[in-house]
Amino acid sequence: MLAFILRRVLSGVVLIAVISFLAYVLLYVSGGDIARRILGENATADTVAKKTEELGLDRPLLAQYGEWVVSAFSGDLGRSWFTGELVATSVSTRLAVTLSIVIGATVVSAIVAVVLGVLAARRGGAVDGSVQVISLIGFAIPGFLIALGLVLVFAINLGWFKATGYVPATTSLTGWLSSVTLPIVALSIGAIAAVSQQVRGSVIDAMSRDYVRTLRSRGLSTGSVVYRHVLRNAGGPALAVLAVQFIGLLGGAVIVEQVFAIPGMGQLTVRATTLGDIPVVMGVVIAFAVIVVVVNLLIDLAQAALNPKVRLS
Amino acid sequence: MFRWKATAATIAIAALALTGCAGGGDDGSGASDSGRADRLTLTAIVGPTSYDIGQGAEYGNRSPFFQAVFDTLLQKNAEGEIEPWLATDWEYNDDNTVLTLTLRDGVEFTDGTPLDAEAVVGSLERFRDGTSPQAATLAGKEFAASDATTVTITQPAPDPSLVNLLSIAPGLIQAPSTFDDPDSATEPIGSGPYVLDTAATVTGTTYVYTANPDYWNADAIKYDNLTINVIEDPTATLNALKAGEANGAKIVNNDTIPEIEASGWTIESNELDFQGLLLFDRAGTMAPELADVRVRQAINMAFDRKALLQALQAGYGTVTEQVFPETSVGYDDALDSTYGYDPEAAKDLLAEAGYPDGFTLNMMSTPAFQTTFDLVAQQLADIGITVNYTDPGTGNFITDMLAPKYPATWMALEQNPDWQLINFMIAPDATFNPFHSEDPQVDEYITTIQMGTQDEADQATKDLNAWIVENAWFAPFYRVQGTYAVDANTNLEFWPTNAYPSIFGFSPKN
Repeated sequence: MLAFILRRVLSGVVLIAVISFLAYVLLYVSGGDIARRILGENATADTVAKKTEELGLDRPLLAQYGEWVVSAFSGDLGRSWFTGELVATSVSTRLAVTLSIVIGATVVSAIVAVVLGVLAARRGGAVDGSVQVISLIGFAIPGFLIALGLVLVFAINLGWFKATGYVPATTSLTGWLSSVTLPIVALSIGAIAAVSQQVRGSVIDAMSRDYVRTLRSRGLSTGSVVYRHVLRNAGGPALAVLAVQFIGLLGGAVIVEQVFAIPGMGQLTVRATTLGDIPVVMGVVIAFAVIVVVVNLLIDLAQAALNPKVRLS
Repeated sequence: MFRWKATAATIAIAALALTGCAGGGDDGSGASDSGRADRLTLTAIVGPTSYDIGQGAEYGNRSPFFQAVFDTLLQKNAEGEIEPWLATDWEYNDDNTVLTLTLRDGVEFTDGTPLDAEAVVGSLERFRDGTSPQAATLAGKEFAASDATTVTITQPAPDPSLVNLLSIAPGLIQAPSTFDDPDSATEPIGSGPYVLDTAATVTGTTYVYTANPDYWNADAIKYDNLTINVIEDPTATLNALKAGEANGAKIVNNDTIPEIEASGWTIESNELDFQGLLLFDRAGTMAPELADVRVRQAINMAFDRKALLQALQAGYGTVTEQVFPETSVGYDDALDSTYGYDPEAAKDLLAEAGYPDGFTLNMMSTPAFQTTFDLVAQQLADIGITVNYTDPGTGNFITDMLAPKYPATWMALEQNPDWQLINFMIAPDATFNPFHSEDPQVDEYITTIQMGTQDEADQATKDLNAWIVENAWFAPFYRVQGTYAVDANTNLEFWPTNAYPSIFGFSPKN
């Protein structure tokens, strides 16, 4: 088991290294004249040249990347070229915001999806049909459109929730709820559509298995069979889908945070990439890469713990 | 069964939100003990790049962030006129090369250190030697403290823009105690009306300030707290307005004005930028056709400016044919009808210049303004000029423009005060004169503006503007309306010379 973990951690580190290099090269190639972009049209050519030198952009790509790697290993991710903020601070404060929304959306979508999936699988008929239609709509409507609709109805017309901005839970719990509810709902809908289909499929599949027939023959009620046994077996695949959804939700947060003007990773990513703020983009890339690697590692570990065969493969 | 629980949970959350901070915004009218309103909440479209004035000091859309925490040496009032501020008095020597400033006595930075002549000199030097966008405006100037409250600025030649510059970014005074601190990029110390609350601030997104309790000009502060939210997305800005989450907002999309007004907001506006063609290659080194003034005049006659304004700006703005703004002494209303829209006459002029079949002009485009580029190409095609567009990529647009890689280009440019404008787009070494176009007559006007008496300078500015229009150095289309919206609880005096209102221009109603 230890070797398994070590192997996975090592491959994760290699992956992060490769991603960081590719990201740097891509940013560098597509960057254009960053000093001019920072300074705007008012700056003279001399000032632009001075800024380029100050940022070290006049040196070869590999030298710049090498320096970034050395600093990054000592824990220094540098400062944003466009706000002067420490990248580590930028990323950590915004990660907290995004994770609170993404984790919230994961929990909400997990609960709702399991309920809908089981209902659809068990009841069939009209219930199943309704769930299918809801799922289809959830798949079909883009997250930002749902977000815009929610803002219009629940923030602007009804005034129940905040239309823009984020209030930390430490400042005000109701304020926090008011600022995260709509983004969580907007993010959840797509995930509910995906996960409920998975749960429905798994439950239907499990219900036709021999062990269910055996359990039934022993006189167990349908409810007991479904909730005690079937769901436990269907849980594995659903968990895997949910983990994928979690990573997908991080991407979805990019758009939803723009709509709600929420200072999370999404907003930071969009701003930093459009501006060409290399230190921040690198910080974001590393943070996301680490999250993806860790989530995958945890799933692997969970599955290995459940199923010894995984460890051998 | 689960549905009922989910519904109940939703209702509970909604109830919490209702009793809590639903809506979230402040109406900005609740008076406190200080006699001020509680909070002013604004939205801006960009945040400051760095609070270190050596790196990021900037006005325009970034002005409120700097104005909140720093003082400038001089100040602009609501009419855009220069007034005393940190400097109570300022005077030039006979040949306008030495400016002597008398500083207000007893002003302190918010860390308790004195704001004296030494601090001012240090701050001005930091700006001059740094990499802020306007750093070059103080190049070649020397600063000295003759005593605790007297600063002299010595320059090799007169600079008619200096006094104006001291009322904007170059005149911002930062506490020297923060010069060596890299955190000064996000933790500014100035002597301004507000203090940045770094704990409540999310850099790049939300800036929270509290009134400076020891401010020397306490009466100028109308709110105990100030919040500026950076919202780049125009839809999110609109949502914030409609949900009552801001008292004032910079509006970038003029199409939304009717909707904003319908929601009970007041629109304040000015006109700072013009959009049009910059006919850079006036000597014809890259596009020989442009060397002929008749070709440049024909280009000016090719555009139906009113139709362009309607199509591209929903009619919000004013058509113009000159690059000097209405606030300039050089501005002349009559110049705006020098070139009527007349494609036939334009074709005749082209034929006269030896291009009866027209020619091909290389220009640059960028996806964000595709409609503009299409209309420009279409109007030029009507007089026989074929436009060949290249998209250099967003990050290279200005760089390639100034390289220069194109003989002419469409652009939106800021209309600065006269001397700054001349050094920005007309003088031989101006940033937006990348081919270094030069003419003895232009040089003469420029020299008079710099060296002459006020009357001579004013006349020369008028003459210069007329000359530039007549010789068609540019083909401006219109000045774009700069728009700012305020809610029903807020008064605003929007100064005419900056993209963002002065934070002293806001006051609570009642």
